[in-house]
Amino acid sequence: MREEDVVLKLKEAFGDKVSDFKTAPRRIFFYTPPEHYKEVVKFLVEKLGFVHLQAMTSIDLGKDLEVMPHLGRGLTVSVRTRVPKDKPVVDSIVDVIPSASFHEREVHDMLGVEFKGNLNLKRILLPEDWPEGVHPLRRESQITFPKPIRGGEK
Amino acid sequence: MSVNSSYERFFDVPIGPQHPALKEPLFLKLVVEGEHVVAADVDVSYTHRGVEKAMQERNYIQNIYLAERICGICNVAHTLCYCQNVEGLYDVEVPSRALYIRVLVEELARIHSHLLWLGVAAHEIGFDTLFMYVWRDRERVMDLIEEITGNRVTSAINTIGGVRRDIRPETFDRCLKAMDYVEERTKYYKKVCKTDPTIAARCAGVGILKPNDAVRLCAVGPTLRASNVKYDVRADDPYAVHDEVPFNVVVYDTNDAFGRILVRIDEIFESINMVRYCVKHMPTGPVRVRLRLNPPAGEHVSRVEAPRGELIHYVKSNGSEKPERYKVRTPTFENLPALCEMLTSKGNYVVNIADVPVVFASIDPCLSCTSRVAVLDSEKETVWIGRLEGLKRLKR
Repeated sequence: MREEDVVLKLKEAFGDKVSDFKTAPRRIFFYTPPEHYKEVVKFLVEKLGFVHLQAMTSIDLGKDLEVMPHLGRGLTVSVRTRVPKDKPVVDSIVDVIPSASFHEREVHDMLGVEFKGNLNLKRILLPEDWPEGVHPLRRESQITFPKPIRGGEK
Repeated sequence: MSVNSSYERFFDVPIGPQHPALKEPLFLKLVVEGEHVVAADVDVSYTHRGVEKAMQERNYIQNIYLAERICGICNVAHTLCYCQNVEGLYDVEVPSRALYIRVLVEELARIHSHLLWLGVAAHEIGFDTLFMYVWRDRERVMDLIEEITGNRVTSAINTIGGVRRDIRPETFDRCLKAMDYVEERTKYYKKVCKTDPTIAARCAGVGILKPNDAVRLCAVGPTLRASNVKYDVRADDPYAVHDEVPFNVVVYDTNDAFGRILVRIDEIFESINMVRYCVKHMPTGPVRVRLRLNPPAGEHVSRVEAPRGELIHYVKSNGSEKPERYKVRTPTFENLPALCEMLTSKGNYVVNIADVPVVFASIDPCLSCTSRVAVLDSEKETVWIGRLEGLKRLKR
């Protein structure tokens, strides 16, 4: 399947629910609002055969958090959706792609996005004693640099 | 018939993170019934270093060397993926000699990684003689990588816009000679693996992953190809000059740890042929284009077939000298759901506790890759990551 065919099929099926298409050779990026995110992913997996979840990127955009799963084998289709930072809740895609659970746990650790429907959102990369509500990849997580250790100083 | 007894039927057996049978800090929580594992859970957070956050604090040139240190063994795959990503932001054409050198070094790295893994697998099943022989022959490849790139392990060959060093003509002869040697030895190891009863007893039928499960759980790399699914990023999404260099995607239909050994051995042969092809068809010309420091704003996804499977990097640039977001997804992370599936007894398929190290080794795990990202100051609730200046100060 070529990039244009995928874009065409998505536009046919979802109309104005999908927007901001960007294509490059074997790469497609597009935006969908969070309320349609799950059905768009489901359509891509079940109707167009993008069964492989490559990765799930998450970005802190300031006011919003962006969640972007990359799907596909030859082609990479990146479905981006944005949720507000004060209420970061998005539907989980675990029942469409089982292995998404690990990716969603990582996004939950790093940016604090809640995935509705994923019952196993426990820590995956952060240690168990990491404080609640601190998400290292958010912009407000400041980096403090280690102090030099010198003998005789307190 | 129900038996009333004082003992529990299911037990939790924790393995790791420090355990003699595991080479890497993984915490496996197994639920066992007698000798059989009935459920498995993994914790991979013990080598979490904050690479993604650290990458946002460094410029694009510094990040090449940070990306290289995500994983020592697949360092070539990581820098290749990183450089392709940043070149994608510039939309620049890399000279073809540089692309050939990249593929050459990448395939050499794959040979040494697969040989290393074969040694580790032999060690896990208690066949230490094979382990020592394999690692001796791996040194030939390491020497070659040292001669081409200047370093044995962290090769630092890829850079944004090409490669850092050209290959001298006399190196090509030595390269071909070493390939002949490695090919001959690998043929012998294949014979050993196929005929030795110990290997068959420890690996055949162990760590079963059915093709539909492999696809459903998004397994990648040799783990997927041993389940008879033909998927290789070099073939499906060709990067560098993989559309010119011929090779076969190796698949086996045994679905078990034994198949994963054979897939990797056969991939060594394919890589040897690719190295030969690159040496014979090496084009002339420059090996690098110079680019300005700040790439234009944009985003790019780059994929590479690392020795352990599909590796994907994502970069988002805002036009400044540092990336706004850099995301790394490594093959072992993608294989974890499949690992949990392999460790779960179902129906006629049983996993014994003694098989766990073999199953775990069969996905070729690399946990430093898997848990990339930060050290915590719990009083201030902030994250810190070491920086070069800090390290210099510490050194004094």
